Amino acid sequence: MTNPPAVGDRLLRALLPPASAETMTGDLLEEYRDTRVPAVGRRRADFWYARQVAGVFLRTYGWFVVPVILVLVIHDLFNTFRDPSGASYLDAAPVLVRLPLGTPGIGVGALLAAALYGTWRTQRWAGGVVATAGIFLVTWLFMALWWPATFYPFAQVQQHNPYWIQAWQWSTNRSHTNEPFLRWIFWDNVGGMIFFGMAMAVVSSACGIVGSTMYWAYRLLRRQDAA
Amino acid sequence: MADILGSFEQAVLLAIVRLDEDAYGRAILNEVARRLERDVAAGAVQATLDRLERKGLVRSRLGSGTPIRDGRARRFYAVQAEGLRALNDAKAAHASIWRGFSRSLKART
Repeated sequence: MTNPPAVGDRLLRALLPPASAETMTGDLLEEYRDTRVPAVGRRRADFWYARQVAGVFLRTYGWFVVPVILVLVIHDLFNTFRDPSGASYLDAAPVLVRLPLGTPGIGVGALLAAALYGTWRTQRWAGGVVATAGIFLVTWLFMALWWPATFYPFAQVQQHNPYWIQAWQWSTNRSHTNEPFLRWIFWDNVGGMIFFGMAMAVVSSACGIVGSTMYWAYRLLRRQDAA
Repeated sequence: MADILGSFEQAVLLAIVRLDEDAYGRAILNEVARRLERDVAAGAVQATLDRLERKGLVRSRLGSGTPIRDGRARRFYAVQAEGLRALNDAKAAHASIWRGFSRSLKART
């Protein structure tokens, strides 16, 4: 009998509470083999299965993805639109606004909360790690669309700001290149995306491992107290 | 009158009533998709079933698996008296909203 991708089945088990993991993976397997593969073929049935897994992830962890994406978008806006002196407009904001938006606190907090929730929900260490890995993937995909979509309008504003012009001149002088502004800022964005992807992969893995381990340590302590 | 059910909750509850003894995850998913005439995510149906069970509107029990699902257990659902009451309330609310409205609805151009 045809099987859906093994990784999809494993991910689904790491996303569902123990009470539904067996029954829901069984329901999807039955639908996959009995209806989808005969009707649309294996490749499209695999795609359907992957969509079901993604749907379960977004339904469960969508609210953890939102603050991470919001922080990154706000960060990008304040990084692009600056005072001509180079100072961030965020510097003038009250400390209660500046601190959460200017530091990665909200993003890291959301990742840790997702790891704790994922481990509690699935009662599996892998549940928390899969939660943060998924948040990383969704966020990175969003930013990989956000940056190209905003590149041109943002660059139009940036090339009229003395701060960005100075940064471009400094960079091109240092590398002895004669790059035009738009080309320089494009590669600056590409570099930023690669760096952001690597940094977020590390942070989300660390948050997943720390959050899941914290939950298991808490359970162990409670069990010892009860004994 | 208890909280009025959402339309998706009504679709899921009615699917359980219609399927009777055969109301398990996959059958409910297909019945809801057929009635709503669109593809429905399994996660959405599962989340709704969990919510209805928490509210005490349905009850579930585990049943045996079959070879096509590699022997994995099936969870069968049954609507409780509270669930039937909620469905009747939703039907009455629906009828009340439309009662006496006979004009045809046309968008202004």
